Amino acid sequence: MMRKFALVLTVLAALGLLVSGAAFAGAPKEIKIGVIYPLTGGAAAAGRVLRNGAELAAWIANNKIQGVDMDMAKKAGIQSLGGAKIKLIFKDHQGNPQLGADLAKKLIKDDKVVGILGCYFSSVTKTVSAVCERYGVPMINGSSTSPALTTRGFKWFWRTTPHDKWFTKDLFELLVGLTQGKVRGVKAVPRQEINTIVSACEKTEWGSHVSSLIKDFAKEYKFNLAKSILYSAKSPDLSSEVQSMLAAKPGAMLFASYTSDAILMIKTLKSMKAKPKLIWGQDAGFDKPEFRQLGADIEGVLIRSVFLPSVAKVKKVAGQVNALYKKRYGVDLDGASARAFTGLQAWVHVLEKAGSTDPKAIQKAANAIDIPGDQLVVPWAGIKFAKVGNETGQNIKGMGLIGQYQMKNGKLTLQIVYPFDLATADMIYPFKGF
Amino acid sequence: MEAFWVEILKSLVSGLLMGLVFALVALGLTVIFGVMDIVNFAHGEFLMIGMYTTLVTAPLLGVDPLITLPICGLVGAVLGVISYYGLVKYLLRGPVIAQLFGTFGLMVFLRNLALLFMGSEPRILHKGVLVGKSFVVGPGLVLESTKLAAAVLSLASFYVVWWLINRTRLGKALTATSLDRQGARYMGISTELMNALAWAIGGASVAIAGGVLVNFWPVDPNVGLLFTMIAFATVALGGFGSIRGALFAGIIIGFIVQIPPVWDAALGLLGLGGGDAISLHPFKYTFVYLIYFIIMIVRPQGLFGWKQ
Repeated sequence: MMRKFALVLTVLAALGLLVSGAAFAGAPKEIKIGVIYPLTGGAAAAGRVLRNGAELAAWIANNKIQGVDMDMAKKAGIQSLGGAKIKLIFKDHQGNPQLGADLAKKLIKDDKVVGILGCYFSSVTKTVSAVCERYGVPMINGSSTSPALTTRGFKWFWRTTPHDKWFTKDLFELLVGLTQGKVRGVKAVPRQEINTIVSACEKTEWGSHVSSLIKDFAKEYKFNLAKSILYSAKSPDLSSEVQSMLAAKPGAMLFASYTSDAILMIKTLKSMKAKPKLIWGQDAGFDKPEFRQLGADIEGVLIRSVFLPSVAKVKKVAGQVNALYKKRYGVDLDGASARAFTGLQAWVHVLEKAGSTDPKAIQKAANAIDIPGDQLVVPWAGIKFAKVGNETGQNIKGMGLIGQYQMKNGKLTLQIVYPFDLATADMIYPFKGF
Repeated sequence: MEAFWVEILKSLVSGLLMGLVFALVALGLTVIFGVMDIVNFAHGEFLMIGMYTTLVTAPLLGVDPLITLPICGLVGAVLGVISYYGLVKYLLRGPVIAQLFGTFGLMVFLRNLALLFMGSEPRILHKGVLVGKSFVVGPGLVLESTKLAAAVLSLASFYVVWWLINRTRLGKALTATSLDRQGARYMGISTELMNALAWAIGGASVAIAGGVLVNFWPVDPNVGLLFTMIAFATVALGGFGSIRGALFAGIIIGFIVQIPPVWDAALGLLGLGGGDAISLHPFKYTFVYLIYFIIMIVRPQGLFGWKQ
């Protein structure tokens, strides 16, 4: 009789544990998101700020923050998931696409992440997203701009940042605008002064696409592209490339470079005493604190950007978040950190809408999400991903900016020169030369 | 047409200046090989350490980077001697394959040591008497002061090493050991000491090359690989063990790396230039390795034969 009683008691206890265990398993306390960035190597500078941006966004989402007019700052954690907090697991891809793919597999199988954010280098985003697509794990990309990434018809990939086709078109609009006197502070420039252009782009997925976009737009806008060079971002010497470019006597020099090669390009141009009328860099390396250490040497250099601190003039949250960022990290938000922040923010909104960590629920939420522009630090109209057409997963409400480095009171600042109606200062033209 | 010749001239001058730097880097390798038949895979890493030495000591002591060159030389010599007595001496007892793997291991070790202490990001000198300065000569020929100084230093180093080898007793002893180790030993010349001296000279010269290079070339823990490969190609082309060979081969390789701008200029002359033209820039160093390959097949002893 006692043995039977003991048996029943044991079974009941076991059932009880099972039931309560299931209850605990229902609401996760922690949502793991894998973040893959170049934390070491030539783009480590970018990796650092990307990480900072993502961490700040996670902190704001996980806590109740005063003074930031964003939905995710109002409460702590993901409300539809019982206040679960976001936990970021960072991995370093070192700029290597194969390593990135391996790290993604590890994050999915070992760390069991709910989703992935990354990877900055378009070449790494390409392979990592392929892994995610295979395993059915959602991935949000915040800062890779090769247009090809959203033309693959992937069902588990979403990109918040506008891509290079947008940005390169902005550049040509600026060039034409210069000739029409639309640029603040510059009288109409005769066309032949900037008609000859040269380009030098790093040769992986990102740079090579920018290079071909420049070729296409040059034809469309009828500029003379005298030289189009692809080079290795890891190359320690760019003097032969620069020599060839200068031989074409260009009016405008266009670059797509990561950090260390952007610095090397400018130093090489300086040592060869180059004097083009205009230098433009496709963000990335040209928008980093390390690059800005070149100080007065880069005054006049134009960069495509997605975020400048002066955006705070038109967007309140941008100023609020920038103040927090500056307090924590000592520098202003830039194109990379702002987009990493926005990428993680997109994750928060998607999770909030999904109300579950089930991949299918997240997929449905991502396809339906519509985040209004006033929630974002970046000057976009919002975040809404295309569901049909040949660019599924691409945010259709993004926008680019073109900034110019200018010295003000002995300090290097970045002023907006495009779009023309958002200009914060007169543009310096021509480039003063080395 | 005139623009074409100016471009050719620019390429020739760039090629010469850079070629002398390549020659200096190869000098140490050829001396070590000449004396003891050992191929030092870690050669580029000695260069890298020379570069970091200047990068770190110049701001630390608050002096111009050029002043730190003797320190580089000292660091390189000490590193060479430690490598010899600590590793290479033992490798010599084994088969050739052990020697190759041994110095390869030294390369990996030094590279990761640098990664540990200096981090992975590329760094370059921003301050210095010569850094960032250049002057214009003739029809738009721009000469960078740092490259010019590097070239002059290279020539000076070659002269010093040549003088050391050919005009001093120590040099003669070194030559004797390289030509006939046993015979030299019978004459009372300590092989051990000569080996260590070869490593000291080799290490010092390449570290000094690094100290000058860092004025215009970024350094990171992996920069050694490119220069090791170029040094191998240079020494193979010039002849293993030949100092004269290293000088000429270095200059030739300097010119080879300048092929892309010459190609572009030629295309421009023929009116075939422009955005869609085939660019040879990504293949700059491919040509160097191609030459290495061809030399190995056609004339394995290099331009100036084996040891001189």
